[in-house]
Amino acid sequence: MPKLTIDGKLIEVEAGLTVLQACERAGVEIPRFCYHERLSIAGNCRMCLVEQERAPKPIASCAMPVMDNMVIKTDTEMVRKARRGVMEFLLINHPLDCPICDQGGECDLQDQAMAYGFGRSRYDENKRAVADKYMGPLIKTIMTRCIHCTRCIRFATEVAGVEEMGALGRGEHMVVTTYLEKALASEMSANVIDLCPVGALTSKPYAFEARPWELRKTESVDVMDAVGSAIRVDTRGREVMRVLPRLNEDVNEEWISDKTRYACDGLTRQRLDVPYLRKDGALRPMSWNDALKAAADRLKAAPGDRIAALAGDLSDAESMFALKELMTALGSPHVECRQDGAFLPADSRAGYLFNTTIVGIERADVCLLVGANPRWEAAIVNTRLRKRHLMGGFTVAAIGPALDLTFPVQMLGDGPKALAQIAAGTHPFSQKLKDAKAPMIVLGQGALARPDGAAVYAAARKLGELCQREGWNGFNVLHTAAARVGGLDLGLVPTGKLKDVNAILDAAASGALDVVYLLGADEIDMDRLGKVFVIYQGHHGDRGAHRADLILPGAAYTEKNGIYVNTEGRAQLAKLASAPPGEAREDWKILRALSEAAGKTLPYDTLADLRGALVKAHPGFARIGDVTPSSLGSYSGPAGSAMDAPFAHPIANFYMTDPISRASLTMSHCTEVFLNARAAKTGTHG
Amino acid sequence: MAFLDRTARSFLLAELVKGLGLTFSYMFKPRATINYPYEKGPLSPRFRGEHALRRYANGEERCIACKLCEAICPAQAITIEAEPREDGSRRTTRYDIDMTKCIYCGFCQEACPVDAIVEGPNFEYAAETREELYYNKDKLLANGDRWEAEIASNLAADAPYR
Amino acid sequence: MLMFWNGYALPTVIIVAQVVAIVVPLMLAVAYLTYAERKVLAAMQLRMGPNVVGWWGLLQPIADGLKLLTKETVIPSGANRLLFVAAPMLSFILALVAWAVIPFSAGMVLANINVGVLYLFAISSLGVYGIVVAGWASNSKYAFLGALRSAAQMVSYEVSIGFVIVTVIMCAGSMNLSKIVEAQKHVWFFIPLFPMFIVFFISGLAETNRTPFDLAEGESELVAGYFVEYSSMTFALFYLGEYANMILISAMTAVLFLGGWLPPIDIAPLNWIPGPVWFALKIAVGLFFFLWARATLPRYRYDQLMRLGWKVFLPFSLLWVALTAGVLVYGGLV
Repeated sequence: MPKLTIDGKLIEVEAGLTVLQACERAGVEIPRFCYHERLSIAGNCRMCLVEQERAPKPIASCAMPVMDNMVIKTDTEMVRKARRGVMEFLLINHPLDCPICDQGGECDLQDQAMAYGFGRSRYDENKRAVADKYMGPLIKTIMTRCIHCTRCIRFATEVAGVEEMGALGRGEHMVVTTYLEKALASEMSANVIDLCPVGALTSKPYAFEARPWELRKTESVDVMDAVGSAIRVDTRGREVMRVLPRLNEDVNEEWISDKTRYACDGLTRQRLDVPYLRKDGALRPMSWNDALKAAADRLKAAPGDRIAALAGDLSDAESMFALKELMTALGSPHVECRQDGAFLPADSRAGYLFNTTIVGIERADVCLLVGANPRWEAAIVNTRLRKRHLMGGFTVAAIGPALDLTFPVQMLGDGPKALAQIAAGTHPFSQKLKDAKAPMIVLGQGALARPDGAAVYAAARKLGELCQREGWNGFNVLHTAAARVGGLDLGLVPTGKLKDVNAILDAAASGALDVVYLLGADEIDMDRLGKVFVIYQGHHGDRGAHRADLILPGAAYTEKNGIYVNTEGRAQLAKLASAPPGEAREDWKILRALSEAAGKTLPYDTLADLRGALVKAHPGFARIGDVTPSSLGSYSGPAGSAMDAPFAHPIANFYMTDPISRASLTMSHCTEVFLNARAAKTGTHG
Repeated sequence: MAFLDRTARSFLLAELVKGLGLTFSYMFKPRATINYPYEKGPLSPRFRGEHALRRYANGEERCIACKLCEAICPAQAITIEAEPREDGSRRTTRYDIDMTKCIYCGFCQEACPVDAIVEGPNFEYAAETREELYYNKDKLLANGDRWEAEIASNLAADAPYR
Repeated sequence: MLMFWNGYALPTVIIVAQVVAIVVPLMLAVAYLTYAERKVLAAMQLRMGPNVVGWWGLLQPIADGLKLLTKETVIPSGANRLLFVAAPMLSFILALVAWAVIPFSAGMVLANINVGVLYLFAISSLGVYGIVVAGWASNSKYAFLGALRSAAQMVSYEVSIGFVIVTVIMCAGSMNLSKIVEAQKHVWFFIPLFPMFIVFFISGLAETNRTPFDLAEGESELVAGYFVEYSSMTFALFYLGEYANMILISAMTAVLFLGGWLPPIDIAPLNWIPGPVWFALKIAVGLFFFLWARATLPRYRYDQLMRLGWKVFLPFSLLWVALTAGVLVYGGLV
């Protein structure tokens, strides 16, 4: 371990660190533009110059590895002069248009020019101007502001895995561009906006909307997929203006997917803000009292086993818990959270979790994807897989339809047959799994949400047992719904004679059910509900609301405090960033009010009481932010016979997977640009 | 002696007479006030009166919606909303000043990087209702058009001291 | 019939005509006193004063009167309606009634009674009732306190005014006002009785609630004193009464000390000028002093006011009564 002196302080750091990192360990801030911890080192901005004793000139600390007995000075006249000089050069061609720049107020260049800059300009010549580039519907470019740090290029190449950005020309003529000016085709593309230290790449949907100092910042978690990325929700007044990533090394590092970032404009569109009751075929607004009474009358009139409840993909644990308690009180055993019909037994926790954990991917050496497309189902997981791929010595294989995951994937087959072969050990890949030190199998919803889901699950479990090592659980289920793991943890699976969502829908169609309660469940086939009375509690006028006979307006994920459990089994808190619109209320409050109207009052009046009851029944929910490892026992559930049909991916359109993103204008632009336009184009186009 | 002096003074009402003499002498001094609505006193180029939003000579509005005035306003009297205009430039869709909140500190015009919001020389804008004092963008731009000559000359007069 | 006409109707008509001849100019004088006050104060404070309505603002008092007339009379809900309305009338009537005995020139007097001074004294004492009634009837703590202050103040200063008048009566040897004026043919009383003249004038300020003794209406603590609840015409009556009282006190000063309608020296061309003009001029000078004092002096504190009245003016005027009497008796001037 090399020892070095930084500003007179002797510290010892690991070998292989750079001087800049060593300075950070020593608590010394070094200004930088091009250097970023998660990207490769470029060393082209020269802002991080420090003085090294016995070196003839300042050294770029970001690119200089530490050596024993180095003496680094960061606070000398030489360093200050170097920084002033570099800043002056950077500002030569940087336009002083901060007042119209969306980065203004949160701009690295602005801050560092204030802290380390020269204070005035000696440059009288004309500044250069650069034509703006088209980078798709999400990224707005003002390339004159670019200082050529190349962070965006490195991000696209290394993290996002789309080699579509680069720099043309050199010196003053250097231009950062996407090749052929195409939209940046990555689910992670908008992260370059956060990376850009200046206002060259800014957010297009957020353009000129608000200033950073106007925003109220709320730390929350994302529910657009089951990863539970840490996000910061920025609100101005009642409106969510933007969503930014928050650092969480265990989950999303500092990236978020474009859907997470930009679906927030759907929060203002298509909202349900008053209760509605269907009369003579049309939905009519009404008061909460009348709506609750109408719902309670229906629920009281129906016998318990003629009521069913479905929890949607965006439901928080508290409201699902309240729903289950209410249904139990009403005598209904039919409470279901797996609205896509995936076969996921709730009895063994390890049987439905991503046991390896996302950070654990970095330790894996072999990965088998079964019916999963992590790039669309969980873009953050895909980024981790790519990160592991870049570290080397990593084999990824897949069973299912063809995949483009930004790293090479070995295709082993397309359906249950290949899975059965590997599980039986008759496939060459099973030997590889056996030999691997840390093998992982990722079971996607595409493989489970099928009539033969039980058979696929049984085979996968068998394979999962092969992936067990000391301190390593290689069996992973990759969920797509933020509420799924929470629902399974809470036991939201039917215990009556209707075993799953398909049985419930069939019963509804055949008239065996009187009332179906949809808690934000929009992903089912509404036509199969038949003539049953549908109570829909949710926040968007989506499929469920169109079919509903009674609508109770609820809160979206930025409008309530709730616990969400991600695919790893990590309970996380979503926080209230703004109040629900109009007369919409937090979901647990609606259920509590409904329980009172129905004469089965739930025993909690505050969210704290509800959480208390929830934690008492399910202690796992108290460990916010942690993953409790659970071991995978042997599987003895139903299996059945597998079909020949190949696996299909559950997500047809990455940009529109839930009511919020379906209501989002930005997401529809993305769908248009990234999916429809691409599908329409053939080789002879353009 | 001093006692006598004091008593004499007090009995002869010396202070009273002095005071009366002073006020009487003031009757013949020139008036300090002016006949306001007909005559007006001189205004400094830095006078901070009614707000106005200025335009460039070609008619383009100056304000670029940077929101610095909104940020600095100590009375929080300014409300701005912005979005890209059709030509892609940054412009306000709403620029409101609540003149009943405004304390006329002039920070907004100091903060403005393009001299768009200024406090002009007009101070005669009393209104009969509060609503008339909630200025919107149209009103402010109209003020700018009306007072542009005075505002421009005031800015020019003050420029050497900035 | 003729007897009725000559015995009753004609004198009545003549008296009414005389009353009108006094009251109308008096009201005009009151109106223009407000104008003069504003102009004089403005001049002493280097301001303009009213100058918008009419030439040099000459129509301002008319405009103010019209404004007051057209306003709504607000009667507070807890007020005694009858007394509330009666109080300003009382005040106003008393301010006018006193003029019956004021001689404008030799023989030009409505009621040339022998006890004119006592009549005046009695009438001005009654003025307190208007104020006390107004303060009580308003049912407002500010009005009530203001009325108490005013009443106490007026009563206190009447005592010394009484002694001052006694000295004058002694010098004139009559209580008939015309006789008092004629007694000043050679020397106006303000010369021999100068200290009494000062005491009388200052007490007059207090009697009329003028600065520096206007603490009954002390704006900063009592809002407006006893007439805080009054508006419109009821307020106007108080206002007129107060200013009429000012003119009355000035007229009394002129009669008692400044030789009434007499010219300063009885030589041509001064004695060509008719008596009423001299009288009016003297009143005007007195009023100017009222206004001048207002522009100069700050308000007294209440205890200072009382101290001045009881512990300075009262012994001082007593002393002067004795002194004057002594001089008259032993100087052989009686």
